[in-house]
Amino acid sequence: MRRLTVVLLASAVSVGLIIGCQSLPGATPPPSETVTVAEQKPASPPTALPNRDGSLKFGVLGDFGTGSREQYQLAEQMVALHKRFPYELVALVGDNLYGSERPRDFETKFERPYKALLDANVKFYAALGNHDDAELQMNYKPFNMDGKHYYTFKAPKQDVRFFILESTYMNPEQVKWIEQELANSKEDWKIVYFHHPLYSSGNRHGSDVTLRETLEPLFIKYNVSIVLTGHDHLYERIKPQKGITHFLVGSGGQLRAGGSEPGLPFSAKIVDNIQVFMVAEIFENEMTFNAISRTGAIVDSGIVVRRELNAGVK
Amino acid sequence: MSRFASGSRRVLSLALGVLGFVAVAAYGQTPPVNANAKALADFRTRIDAYAALHKKLEATLPALSKESTPQQIVGHQDNLAGLIAKERIAAKQGDLFTPAMQTMVRELMKQAFAHGDAKLLRASIMDENPGPVKLTINGKYPDTVPLTTMPTEVLKGLPPLPEGLEYRFVGETLILLDPHAHIIADFVPNALPKA
Repeated sequence: MRRLTVVLLASAVSVGLIIGCQSLPGATPPPSETVTVAEQKPASPPTALPNRDGSLKFGVLGDFGTGSREQYQLAEQMVALHKRFPYELVALVGDNLYGSERPRDFETKFERPYKALLDANVKFYAALGNHDDAELQMNYKPFNMDGKHYYTFKAPKQDVRFFILESTYMNPEQVKWIEQELANSKEDWKIVYFHHPLYSSGNRHGSDVTLRETLEPLFIKYNVSIVLTGHDHLYERIKPQKGITHFLVGSGGQLRAGGSEPGLPFSAKIVDNIQVFMVAEIFENEMTFNAISRTGAIVDSGIVVRRELNAGVK
Repeated sequence: MSRFASGSRRVLSLALGVLGFVAVAAYGQTPPVNANAKALADFRTRIDAYAALHKKLEATLPALSKESTPQQIVGHQDNLAGLIAKERIAAKQGDLFTPAMQTMVRELMKQAFAHGDAKLLRASIMDENPGPVKLTINGKYPDTVPLTTMPTEVLKGLPPLPEGLEYRFVGETLILLDPHAHIIADFVPNALPKA
């Protein structure tokens, strides 16, 4: 039984270095502000997104719907990147709208900033966070939830299936549902996303250990390769945990000062002082990812190799 | 994928545990119908009646379609909340959670915490918990206030709910939230076991 192989190529750590690398399809002009990251490692070029024909290209965004200037700036980066790296869907990991959720809020906090992407037929698939009004968002067509608290869909390209959970209300029925869906899934890549992180260096919330105790055994058993979450307002890549790579992308809107505790053993990379979204590309057995700030800097990158089909089932 | 968690073994065993405790304590003078079993059955009847009312009133509103705009969705929610409030104008705290059921809920919560890691469960519930706020029956749950996390261990320990109702915490009060209308149907003060 082969264990997960993860190849995490070195992370980009300085703006100067990132500017020097022109390989990212959507790379933007030099950013005007300094980006620092919590984890400093020897500088090396970021991993370029291959941008292959036939690959699955997708974005990840969380905790974003504030209507703030920073949210709009990050959205501009997403739009700019899409012109050269045409991702077809965006996984929303919850807290999609902050504050009031009146009709105008859907416009100012979602439709306006991402208009160019919506017009380009990019599909957004939402998970619910603790700030989200489930009834409103489940029925909001652009979130593609089809009236459901939790759901699954097959990606339009490659052998990939996404599973979306409502982590604020993990009732026994939902646990049973995810187990059945994971067991029935024959796809090579199983990607699960929801709001609360199983692993997090965030000072505000941190790891949700009770949720981890419920979900992680299922993810291991049914060969999940990737888990995407938010909640803490930062970007964090977690070292593979029991074969599964976790990304926390709660960095789409408002940040919090002193957002993280550096040096926790599970943490591979933290960016907690600038808004960040993530894009990824899956082609056959590899997923290449970039985390991109609202100034256009690549603040993390690498390649994850999927867990072998059924490797976790025994 | 409704909220109705059928066949929860855990809640059944916890409820039976409570019932057993009460039965043993009252041995020799046990009434024909156990008081907690009656409270549980009564609660079921009341929440089923609430769910039926909710369904009936929602059916009088134009149905939402897959193409509904935010304006229509928000309007639907507001209208439903208005209809329920009008129909339950005399509703007061304790109508769904009767005093006997409130006592039982507190006991079930203690049992759930005793079975899990109490510190972690409490931390999970208190994460972004809005804290003590004035609660009103039929009052709108403010959309600016986050919802508490409800861990599996806690939900397993509570009686299952019909579609259209869910448990949440506000401070240490367990509320019964109608998520479609986003209103508070009832609540149990001091339901969270002390740290």
